[in-house]
Amino acid sequence: MSLNIPKNLKYTTDHEWAKLENGIVTVGITDFAQSSLGDIVFVELPEVGTKIEKGTSFGVVESIKSVSDLYSPVTGEVVEKNSDLESSPEQCNSEAYNSWMIKIKVAKPDQFEELMAPSAYEEYCQNSH
Amino acid sequence: MNKVTLYDSHKKLNAKFAPFAGWDMPIQYQNVKDEVLAVRNAVGVFDVSHMGEFFVEGPDTYAFLDYLLPNDISGAAMGKAIYSPLCREDGSIVDDLIVYKLDAEKALVCVNASNIEKDFLWFQKFLKGYNCTLTNQSDKYSLLAIQGPHTIQTLKKLGWDDADLGLEYYACIERADYIIARTGYTGEDGFEIFCSHQFVQELWDKLMELNVKPCGLAARDVLRLEVCYPLYGHELSDEVTPLDSALKWTIKSQKNSYVGKEALEKYKPKSKLIKLTLEKGIPRADYNVLNDKQEVIGKVTSGTLSIILNQGIAIARVDLAKANQSSLFYVAIRDKLYEAKETKKPFVTGGHL
Repeated sequence: MSLNIPKNLKYTTDHEWAKLENGIVTVGITDFAQSSLGDIVFVELPEVGTKIEKGTSFGVVESIKSVSDLYSPVTGEVVEKNSDLESSPEQCNSEAYNSWMIKIKVAKPDQFEELMAPSAYEEYCQNSH
Repeated sequence: MNKVTLYDSHKKLNAKFAPFAGWDMPIQYQNVKDEVLAVRNAVGVFDVSHMGEFFVEGPDTYAFLDYLLPNDISGAAMGKAIYSPLCREDGSIVDDLIVYKLDAEKALVCVNASNIEKDFLWFQKFLKGYNCTLTNQSDKYSLLAIQGPHTIQTLKKLGWDDADLGLEYYACIERADYIIARTGYTGEDGFEIFCSHQFVQELWDKLMELNVKPCGLAARDVLRLEVCYPLYGHELSDEVTPLDSALKWTIKSQKNSYVGKEALEKYKPKSKLIKLTLEKGIPRADYNVLNDKQEVIGKVTSGTLSIILNQGIAIARVDLAKANQSSLFYVAIRDKLYEAKETKKPFVTGGHL
């Protein structure tokens, strides 16, 4: 299986991708995640202003047959959510890395550095088969 | 884990597998939505070889089955298939199954994969005194369900026997290489073909050459739920009777005796199944259902996004008294309540005969 893992992002063990720009972490789910889930038909995201903790659930993605939690890669406050995904959840399948879900004003920037680098994530995916 | 004969064929099609009743089964191939739509609008094929096959043979075949099952087995014409629950003396449901009346001294009984051993023991318990044999031949049979409005034309292209294709809805016939029945679990026209492991490989390969869509158990579950067919372990279980489960039509009170008759004749249902549609949110099994007073009155037994309606649908088991006074329902999805409308008719009307 060839994996689509962009080099400019960091990754979680729960298959979220994260990007840090000016103290804001943008979060979505990886190509591996969307492919394992199958047809994504529903996305539930937190409201702007919600405080979230690293490793805790901030929302869900649902395929026709399953419900999966989304886990925050960092601690902070939600400053933006991608409402487009709530009306067009299938974007998560077709463009996983353009389908960002939330932007978090990060409270502890070190937490971003602790996330997996692309090479480590690739190895992680290959071992999780 | 058991593997179906066609395991490698499914693997080649990049099927996703998941354990189901001890079998490693294809859940979906490319996309559940396309699989559902293929069956509603064209034709799809399911490998359901995990299902169990019992044979009852001998002069007392139908006397035995008629005593064992609440539905009218003896009274149905030869060559018919009959759906029935299998009950205990107290009316609780061991399983649901289909009896195929192959000839005067031979019936095939198709049971759920998860219940094969439990059912076989239950059948055996009542066999004494009847001049017939019971065998579990589940290992010998593969089973394909070919379903959808284009089923007939597809099988014609394969040169399939016209006599088979002329079978009525819920009729069956045994041939040298297979048993074919006009049955299914999708609400659409179609056939189920019970056959040897060798025959199934040839049939599958021919169907793939004709671009019949391979469909997994995920699509099958959406299809059956859209037309409100019950599933054992969800709508039906050891804990409930047919009278709590919208199966009153399968209980033939005019029969002199059958296992569970006395209990079922006295039984007052405590709960019932209702059908709910949601404008927003996708209901799932075990989510709480609330009435208009926002009291919890039961749980979703099966839920999904309907592909045809593009909205959440659910069957729920609810307390009879508390549900009957309510005109509005809610389903609790995570920490929010979503309005749900009760509907009396199936969510989708299939195109079967």
